[in-house]
Amino acid sequence: MRRLVALVLVVLPPLPVLADVPSVVQDTVEEHILPRVDAFAGAGADLAAVAASTCDPDDDGLRAAYTVAFDAWIDMSHLRFGPTEVADRAFAIAFWPDSRGATPKALAAMIVNKDPALADPVAFRDVSVAARGLYALEYLLFDDGLRQLGQPETRCALTRAITYDVAANGAAIAADWHDSYAARLMEPGPDGPYQTDAEAVQELFKALGAGLQFTADVRLGRPMGTFQRPRPNRAEARGSGRSLRHVVLSLLATQDLALHLAADDPELASRLSSAFEIALATAARLDDPVFAGVASPQGRIRVEALQTEINKIRQIVATELGPQLGVAAGFNALDGD
Amino acid sequence: MKSVLLATTLLGFGLSSAAMAATKSDVLTTYADIAEATYADSLAAAKVLQTAIDTLIADPTDANLQAAREAWLAARVPYQQSEVFRFGNAIVDDWEGKVNAWPLDEGLIDYVDSSYGGPSDENDFAALNVIANPQFELSGKAVDARQITPNLLADTLHEADGIEANVATGYHAIEFLLWGQDLNGHGAGAGERPASDYAQGDACTGGNCERRAEYLSAAADLLVSDLEWMTAQWAKDGAGRSAVTADENQGIVAMLTGMGSLSYGEQAGERMRLGLMLNDPEEEHDCFSDNTHNSHYYDGLGIRNVYLGSYTRTDGSELKGASLADLVGDADPELDAEMQAKLDQTMDALGAIKAEADGGFAYDQMLERGNEKGEALIMGGVNALVDQAKTIERVVTGLGLDNIAFEGSDSLDNPGAVFQ
Repeated sequence: MRRLVALVLVVLPPLPVLADVPSVVQDTVEEHILPRVDAFAGAGADLAAVAASTCDPDDDGLRAAYTVAFDAWIDMSHLRFGPTEVADRAFAIAFWPDSRGATPKALAAMIVNKDPALADPVAFRDVSVAARGLYALEYLLFDDGLRQLGQPETRCALTRAITYDVAANGAAIAADWHDSYAARLMEPGPDGPYQTDAEAVQELFKALGAGLQFTADVRLGRPMGTFQRPRPNRAEARGSGRSLRHVVLSLLATQDLALHLAADDPELASRLSSAFEIALATAARLDDPVFAGVASPQGRIRVEALQTEINKIRQIVATELGPQLGVAAGFNALDGD
Repeated sequence: MKSVLLATTLLGFGLSSAAMAATKSDVLTTYADIAEATYADSLAAAKVLQTAIDTLIADPTDANLQAAREAWLAARVPYQQSEVFRFGNAIVDDWEGKVNAWPLDEGLIDYVDSSYGGPSDENDFAALNVIANPQFELSGKAVDARQITPNLLADTLHEADGIEANVATGYHAIEFLLWGQDLNGHGAGAGERPASDYAQGDACTGGNCERRAEYLSAAADLLVSDLEWMTAQWAKDGAGRSAVTADENQGIVAMLTGMGSLSYGEQAGERMRLGLMLNDPEEEHDCFSDNTHNSHYYDGLGIRNVYLGSYTRTDGSELKGASLADLVGDADPELDAEMQAKLDQTMDALGAIKAEADGGFAYDQMLERGNEKGEALIMGGVNALVDQAKTIERVVTGLGLDNIAFEGSDSLDNPGAVFQ
């Protein structure tokens, strides 16, 4: 009988190393989340300060501040829960994808109508999210049509209103994390949003999965379209040439999160890390900053190869990291159609 | 022995439903029965709509237009309750776009106001207007649209050029043909298409009245035949029923996936919060008819139906059987209480929106920038739906289903399937 048990054990795969969930959550919050929300808050404040001194869309300083702030946002754009979801902050910072072209329409209407909210930061917070945030700012800095629409003073006021609003939202997100949300995640309880350690780590696990899904399905999938009908015009932030950059930045950020979550299983961490490195190397070889190549079959295949590598990471995350952490995928905002 | 004892004790307290320990098989049977009844009611209501449309076309009076609109509104009540069968059942997901695709670029179908604009970056055919154009080119191919038939709509026009906004069939195409565009912006009021858009001869307004009638009739025929097909899939030995009953754990997961995905990503996100954040009345789900408040309400009710294993049919009779609530109650009574409380909160919040809209505070007005009362109402619904999705995740864990592969939901799906 004992011999039988031994035999059974031999054919079973080794039991996974179970994660020390409370310390995984704490390390992730302190080393992955807080530095990112602080960096974005700082970059947003700098952007608003530069815009206050110049709103010339060709100004190098303004464009550099825009680049730093957008990079900092993409670096935390997978952390879509808690403070980013209060008062639609994340949508107001980053309304994309915009499948109905709402951003240029909303900006044009504000400029042409000299919308009173331009001069009133509180009123501006009620404006459509399509006319707010970094994707709207990109139009004001880089889109030929909008750069010439209406009066320069109106466009300048809009640039300042947008940057001030981005800074305010970045500051509010960071403040909420420091004041309360970090503690709620690290110390779950019956009165908080997370009842158990498992629910807290599930939130982080979902952020990783949703971040990778967004990069594969939306950042790459939208411009890829179908083989018969690729859609290069749908590439993210193509006006400022940032489409591929966003993919790389989000891969680096989700890699950091994945390694934190896999900290208790070095073997799994190492396989995850390799999968990310392969995807990053594929991205580096692409040499196609706005995915214009998807228009040709050969170019599209190369972008699809990158998507495939990201889906391989997702596979490891879903089938190995989830069980190792003892959590299921759960629901996320991309579940609709 | 223990369970018998427990059952006897509970019966003594009058908790007979909890005492009848539900099996997963029974729960899935109830689920499939509710699906069949919901689609059957949708089909019956669509047939009434089809008859009303025939009457309108034969005799385009204001009264007949009004009757057709009322038939459309009534048809939405059972159909919206069926949306919870999406996202977990592949057979529904593969089919749903034919009957309820949204949002649509309505200029594909018929005339629109000049403010609508022309072809867009996203859609070359946003202003095609097939009713006015018997011949046109689509993706490099000449299309003969001299006869507007169900086949033309379903096979050629629907999702033309691979664009989802090219919605040529289903409830919303019919809605547009009955109401027309809602040009009231954030003001109250729905579309105001005149009955004379279907008049013969010189009385015809909007041009091409015969072709418009042909289109409307073809769309109604398709809706009926599509619903007939789906109802049959949930009958005994139907493919939808067989799929959920083939593997009990997968079947229960399909139920929960539909409930959670509809609550969170679809309804709270895409349908409610997005429109509010954009202050855009065109983001209303039933925008031509101003029926969005009802559409949201009956979606929410469908989610609760599935959990409670109970559906009130169009004729008022109640279909009831073993439920997820029974299963969860057996495993963890507190979790069941939490789930039921969350579902009730959602219905209260969606009911508040419906009551305000029925009382004259239109959903368009709620979406307007700076309308704090409207924002509070809509966010009440959004927050309740997001909150209930959280508890649905707890139910997945509570029933020990967290290691079952999820199907039919993007995020719950095994992403490996994407590249296999």
